[in-house]
Amino acid sequence: MPRYFFNTDDGETRLQDGEGMDLPDVQAARAIAMSSLPDMARDKLPNGDHFTFSVQVCDGVGTLLYSATLEFAGQWHVPPGGA
Amino acid sequence: MVNVFIRKLDAAGGLNETDHETLRRLSSHDRLVPARQDLIREGDRTETVYLVLSGFACCYKILPRGRRCISGLMVPGDFCDPRASILDEMDHSIATMTDCTVVEIPRQTMWRLIEDHPRIAHAVCWSMLVDGAVTREWLIGIARRLAPERMAHLFCELLLRLRAVGLAASNEYALPFTQSDLADMLGLTPIHVNRVLRDLRSRGLIVLSRRRLRILDEARLIAFCSFNPNYLHRIPVIDRISTEKAMNDY
Repeated sequence: MPRYFFNTDDGETRLQDGEGMDLPDVQAARAIAMSSLPDMARDKLPNGDHFTFSVQVCDGVGTLLYSATLEFAGQWHVPPGGA
Repeated sequence: MVNVFIRKLDAAGGLNETDHETLRRLSSHDRLVPARQDLIREGDRTETVYLVLSGFACCYKILPRGRRCISGLMVPGDFCDPRASILDEMDHSIATMTDCTVVEIPRQTMWRLIEDHPRIAHAVCWSMLVDGAVTREWLIGIARRLAPERMAHLFCELLLRLRAVGLAASNEYALPFTQSDLADMLGLTPIHVNRVLRDLRSRGLIVLSRRRLRILDEARLIAFCSFNPNYLHRIPVIDRISTEKAMNDY
């Protein structure tokens, strides 16, 4: 099975994947990359109103194969702390 | 050799030396099963109850598209689902995660054990109830805890469960799982497991190296994930023995 590397960024911490993961194909790698975005979002969202979460899938020689971003934008319509 | 199984069931309280001898005989015929092998699969007829004497095993189900979900962990001394002595068909699979020493107990033997030894019956029932409580706690974690707290909670739980059978001296224990294993236990992607492990390390809560986990400050880890050990229903046996000894000496 080929090895895929996942670099992730939750807007605060950027992480280069040094170990990689053996997966059947790039579709499986994409599926895992996609589900990692809501994982990151769930942990981070209580802390602010603007976040961009991103993930990149690379092969063993560092070629970028797939990337995805998830954006969160919260906005107050009354003064924060309650109307 | 102190039998981990006896230590585990002793936490239920009330077992005497005759019961210990019965349990010792029960667990004297063990066999080695290599890592990552199914002991029993979902849908199989349940002829035996497995008992883990060394290594880690897990309960799991495979979801559509091949995704695995681990719903429980068995550490040394644990039964793999004693319900199998009553229910006819497995509703989940059980596999070894590492090399394991296991004992196979035929269901008729299990029935006799429970019929003839009321104190052991009580202890087996106690262990099933605790298993249920652990499952409930995992469910709550997956439903409501953020990933770092969820993982820290698992590490606290394992510390107490392994300490209870004498396998977590100096707040350190074997954590022979891959990131995919942890992901399947915690309901996360392996990618996120990697991030969360890094987060817990950078907070100075844990050190994980060569598949051994060291908890740097137990009180801080417990506070970090609001861990309440009440659901494990056990005082570590060593503590109890020393407390009893202290009381007797007094």
